[in-house]
Amino acid sequence: MRWLTLLFRKTKLDSQLDSELRFHVEQQTAENIAGGMNPAEARRRALAEFGGLESRKEEARDARGTHFVETLLQDIRFAFRILRKTPLITGIAILSLALGIGANTAIFGLIDAVMLRMLPVQNPEQLAQILFRSPTTSRLRPNVTNPIWEQVRDHQDAFASVLAWGATDFDLADGGQENTVSGIYASGSYFKALGVRPAAGRLLAPSDDVRGCRGVAVLGYGFWQSHYGGVESAIGSFIRLNGYSFPIVGVAQRGFSGTDVGTSLDVAIPICAEAILDGKNSSLDVRDDWWLSLMGRVKPGVSIEKASARMQALSQPLFGAVVPPAWPAKYQDVFRKYSFAVLPAANGAGGPFGLRSQYRQPLEILMFVVGLVLLIACANIASLLLARSAARQREIAVRLSLGASRGRLIRQVLTESVVLSGVGALLGVFFARWGSTLLVRLVSTQRSPVFLDLKMDSRVLAFTIGIAVLCGLLFGILPAFRATHVSPMSAMKEGQSQGAGGRSQSVAARWIVAVQVALSLVLLVGTALFIHTFTNLMALDAGFDRNNVLMVRTNIHNLQIPEPARAPLYGQMLAKLQAVPGVVSASQCWMTPLSGMQWDNSLAIPGGSLPTGADSDILLNWVTPDFFATMRTPVVEGRVFDARDTATSTPVVIVNQLLARTYFPGQNPIGKHLLANNKDMLSKQPMEIIGVTQDAKYTSLREDFRPEAYFPLAQIGAVGEDTTFEIRTAMTPGALIPAVRDAMASINKSASLQFTTLKQQADDSVLQEHLMAVLSGFFGGLALLLTAIGLYGVMAYVVTQRTHEIGIRMALGAQQTSILRLVMCDAAMVLVAGVVAGLLGSIWITRLVRQLLFGLTPNDPLTLALAIAALVAVALVATYIPARRAMKVDPMVALRYE
Amino acid sequence: MAADKSLDKSEVLKGTLDMLILKIVALGPIHGYAISQRIQQISKDFFQVQQGSLYPALHRLENRGWLGAEWKMTETGREAKFYSVTKKGRKQLESEMAAWERMSDAVALILRTAE
Repeated sequence: MRWLTLLFRKTKLDSQLDSELRFHVEQQTAENIAGGMNPAEARRRALAEFGGLESRKEEARDARGTHFVETLLQDIRFAFRILRKTPLITGIAILSLALGIGANTAIFGLIDAVMLRMLPVQNPEQLAQILFRSPTTSRLRPNVTNPIWEQVRDHQDAFASVLAWGATDFDLADGGQENTVSGIYASGSYFKALGVRPAAGRLLAPSDDVRGCRGVAVLGYGFWQSHYGGVESAIGSFIRLNGYSFPIVGVAQRGFSGTDVGTSLDVAIPICAEAILDGKNSSLDVRDDWWLSLMGRVKPGVSIEKASARMQALSQPLFGAVVPPAWPAKYQDVFRKYSFAVLPAANGAGGPFGLRSQYRQPLEILMFVVGLVLLIACANIASLLLARSAARQREIAVRLSLGASRGRLIRQVLTESVVLSGVGALLGVFFARWGSTLLVRLVSTQRSPVFLDLKMDSRVLAFTIGIAVLCGLLFGILPAFRATHVSPMSAMKEGQSQGAGGRSQSVAARWIVAVQVALSLVLLVGTALFIHTFTNLMALDAGFDRNNVLMVRTNIHNLQIPEPARAPLYGQMLAKLQAVPGVVSASQCWMTPLSGMQWDNSLAIPGGSLPTGADSDILLNWVTPDFFATMRTPVVEGRVFDARDTATSTPVVIVNQLLARTYFPGQNPIGKHLLANNKDMLSKQPMEIIGVTQDAKYTSLREDFRPEAYFPLAQIGAVGEDTTFEIRTAMTPGALIPAVRDAMASINKSASLQFTTLKQQADDSVLQEHLMAVLSGFFGGLALLLTAIGLYGVMAYVVTQRTHEIGIRMALGAQQTSILRLVMCDAAMVLVAGVVAGLLGSIWITRLVRQLLFGLTPNDPLTLALAIAALVAVALVATYIPARRAMKVDPMVALRYE
Repeated sequence: MAADKSLDKSEVLKGTLDMLILKIVALGPIHGYAISQRIQQISKDFFQVQQGSLYPALHRLENRGWLGAEWKMTETGREAKFYSVTKKGRKQLESEMAAWERMSDAVALILRTAE
């Protein structure tokens, strides 16, 4: 603490130092006078013998040991003063830094929230996710059946405790428009094993989760706040979920939002309550319904590897006990060979469909992109500071000759740049907060809302401070060395401030700009690839017309209608919808395109085998007759379903062109038959092909077309409770919603409705591609702008420096065009060097994004050419402006200047 | 230039300047100007210590706790900073002198035997 006291006594110590040295000089002067010199000469000699009063003071202060902190504060004050003196440069620098650091902080914040942050539970490092793999594939499967879970729960000894949960949506509304919240079915051990404490009431206990339970509900903290105002009296009241009431027994601790990153946890009910909600369709005893995820907490001192080995050893008895009886013997054998795998889950569960695996690569790419943007911004500021350091040479020279050491001045200049980036970072944090919230909103869709806790934790803070300091040093170091590399003598001389030092500065600046050009090109190529990918996806013929279609997802679960009565009810609903004014056509189907869900199975050719090359897995759907008209999927051969196709008539099927071509090559498919494996839903008789449609996308726009078969609703054996009506209208689809809601309510008020449009669903399905196109477009544009500013700045500086030379050339008869060429050539060299380096760099780096592209390869020549053209065009404009000024140099003025 | 030559000499001095100062101050409380005079007198102008460089050294020694300082009146009635050697400084001086003697003995021995 001594240095702290010394620090505060600084002023006193400084004045003592002053008087001590003054005393010395005065004594010497007095002695010199006594030796016969005149007073002025005596003092001069005394000072000379002492040697540099101010620099000695500086050294003496250094010896005090507190000097570093003192001068740091002093430097920071001085830095602010210097920065205020050039508001334009400072403003541009701070703004570009704020954007750069802000973007980095935002993306890193997302990476932190999605991939790095630990679950807010006790000892998260003890948690492990329990998955399994089939002997036939290497991919891990995250979900298990309830019978498997019960085996693990009752017989494992690898973990201190195990827990299970199944994510689901609950509908709070009793019919009408759906009001879904995200919830889980949780095992009785869920909260206890995770170490989550109640914020109010109690959490689930093993006694809540027993077969035949009545069910209780635990609320998430955020949900409790938003829906119940966080009052204690919520405990003991009832919450309606999918039409059933559950007593609320407690609220989970604040900050806990489940184990799945990206989702919120609004309501948890025990696994046994699934039997209440799903009734006789309950999955509790179904041995091939995969809906639960498992985690375990290792015993203290036991490693996750050890637990993994133990679980693997347990695989055979546990899986062997719950083999699905209805499976063919071949698949049962595979089932018996399933084996458990255990992965660390300190920062949450990750599955192949989870937010983490979906956004890992895009986030990493974005991190790289914003990192490049920041580098470009740094390069820009470095060249701005370089230009300014030329102007500061006089100041620096004065300070050098007054005894400042070069190291001391370098420190001063570096302090300035770190202060600059500090201010930028501060502003950037605000950009980041705004930006990351916006990003999360962009990736959140109606069907899969994304919930992320975007608090600024210490890791993000450390990251931001780290890059701020790093940036400050990065863009400050070159200007600092350049600026202090002056000889005091020459710099002090009048008119020499743009001398030799300036020359080498412009060389350094050119290097910086070449690097900028290269980096921007890499970014631009990436941008062009992602935009191309998105436009390819949007331009492709999906096989249906996504515009002007309203979709009404309808769940009649609340109605408790026996299966045979469902189809007639749907018929009534459809008739009502078709009568709504403004409806062009309406239909119903089970699987809507691009919803991410699919129904697939194999269909056999009766009395024959599949031709080679035919995909045995067929996408299936059941539809009403107007489906193809509503979707505008062209029927190329035969007829569509109509009133002739009833439950008792010949079973019929419509196939797509790909199925027709691969299953019946070279034959007319009309009149041929297909036979179903699935005897529940489809006819047991061979089904006759009556029509062929154009191929249409089913689960995603990115996938290749696959064989597809459509069946008429009238001939479906087991009609579900969750289906969708499609309504084509000439109006804005949204305007139809009130009329549709009324029409549906007039049939039955209890059906749950969820509205969306086919366009929206299609857009949501390419959300990631859209996001990459928009974001990389934004950052690519930013990079281009920064590079243009950098190039302009450097060329303008070069022209100012060469004004004299240009004046002489013109006086000697050089044409304006040759001057223009002179300057442009200068810029072209920088540009060519940058473009070549950037091109090599982007060819090397874009290989890594191949997976994210659609309809083009990373080295797509057109894309590369476009990116180069855009960069060169902008660069030429940025160069032309200063070049024109060079052209207009008046030789008289230029020469008189000297 | 003269400054350059004295720089060479002060290089030699760098390690020993601290010892010289301690030795001189050990004779009794003394201010900075007198120390510089004394060094020049004793060394018969051999050590061209640039006077200014004395002060950083003094402050360094004070900072290490080898020297104490006090503001007192000089005989001419002016206030000056008088340095004196602390207990710690005395110990330091002894060990430095011992080390110096060992070294100069060693150097002398080498010079003699090499003849």
